[in-house]
Amino acid sequence: MKGKAILFVIGVIFCISCRNSSKKTEGFVFPEEDSIPVSEAEKLSPEAIADISRNISSPVEIANLLQTLQVPFSQQYLATSIDPEKRGTNFDKALKLGIFGADLGYLNMYEKTGSSLDVLSSIRKLAEDIKVGQFFDFESIKRLSQNRSNLDSLLFISIDSYNKIDNYLRSNDRGQLSALMIIGVWIEGQYLATQVVSQYPDKMLSDRIGEQKIILNDLLLLISPYCNHGSEFRALCSDLQKIREAYKPVRITYTQGTPVSEEKNGGLVVTQTETSVVEMSGDQLSTIIEITKNIRNRLIENN
Amino acid sequence: MRKKLCFLFCLLTISLTSFGQSDDPLVSNCVMNAGPGARYLKDFKIQLGKAPAPGELRYKANMSLWKNTKYRFTLCNSDDSEGKLILNLKDDSNKIVASSFDQKTGKTYAFIDFLCNKSGIYQLNYDFAEGRQGSGVGVVSMIK
Repeated sequence: MKGKAILFVIGVIFCISCRNSSKKTEGFVFPEEDSIPVSEAEKLSPEAIADISRNISSPVEIANLLQTLQVPFSQQYLATSIDPEKRGTNFDKALKLGIFGADLGYLNMYEKTGSSLDVLSSIRKLAEDIKVGQFFDFESIKRLSQNRSNLDSLLFISIDSYNKIDNYLRSNDRGQLSALMIIGVWIEGQYLATQVVSQYPDKMLSDRIGEQKIILNDLLLLISPYCNHGSEFRALCSDLQKIREAYKPVRITYTQGTPVSEEKNGGLVVTQTETSVVEMSGDQLSTIIEITKNIRNRLIENN
Repeated sequence: MRKKLCFLFCLLTISLTSFGQSDDPLVSNCVMNAGPGARYLKDFKIQLGKAPAPGELRYKANMSLWKNTKYRFTLCNSDDSEGKLILNLKDDSNKIVASSFDQKTGKTYAFIDFLCNKSGIYQLNYDFAEGRQGSGVGVVSMIK
């Protein structure tokens, strides 16, 4: 009897410990034009979509920038009004899963373990509702959240869990949910950056907001195939078009330069001397802040 | 009974410590060895056979990089790789802005620290030196 119990425990441990993932990528050439014909978007391969999803600015990078600028953590930026228990469509849940993903990145970077446990519970509920709970390593993330010394592992497992969900959705003909999740991450990251810049004006942060113009086409490419899939998608596509319109007058120019390299500690340190310069007026930034706030708040209040 | 309990405790400990790692130990080791202050962003698993002829690096992926951010590109090889994993980083005009392989000396670097001053979508081209067979992982982190 004891032997059977031991075997059972070993089996359970083995099952929990062994998880698998797959990832494949290929090159993708991005459109230079502002306009994205729907027919073009429909031609996207799953690999190209995977590439696009990697181009979306990580909320961890935005949180890192905020820390560099010594912006204090604030709970008020989080999407705390979302009630994951409330009944909703898969559209709603996937989008909110993305929004919470960005909040988790922000909390993790600021090592706010107490709040991150609440967000984790919400993520768990939403992920289970859209049948992807098995890819989110809740227990590990929870354990690492409580152990502040292991931020690297925490970031790795959190991002890896989201990547697994994304891969699974795309390879199971649920690409629309993957697109929603990615857009949710981006909108919340954009909301965080725009809210902070309105409280703590900073050139580096407003430049980062302006530079989002670079990836807006990708976001639209991602969602375009689904814009006619019902009223929820139509409204989201229209929202993203509004953001794109707000970005139209923003200009990004480049200065030329040759990278400078030096060997250091067995590696190569490269400093890029070529630069990108954002030209965005205060009014243009205010419009972007306002539109982002309205859209993000509409999305989280749509419970 | 004591021995069995000890055995169970060891198993549980192994299980819990392995929780914080990827399914692929090469990936998790590469992430954990990216260095202090390196914050994980993405990883790319690369497995390639021998190239028919030396040429363009074969594994390609895109990623956005942002101005005023220092990125670390760490390159890790599996033990059975015949060649060392190398990386060329290209900007949106297809210009190589950083390479872990010095063509003049044949030297390969285990990592590249790239101080990005131009936001945009970059192409990460990976291969194994001299088009050899191999498997490895490229990890992208940002440095605080």
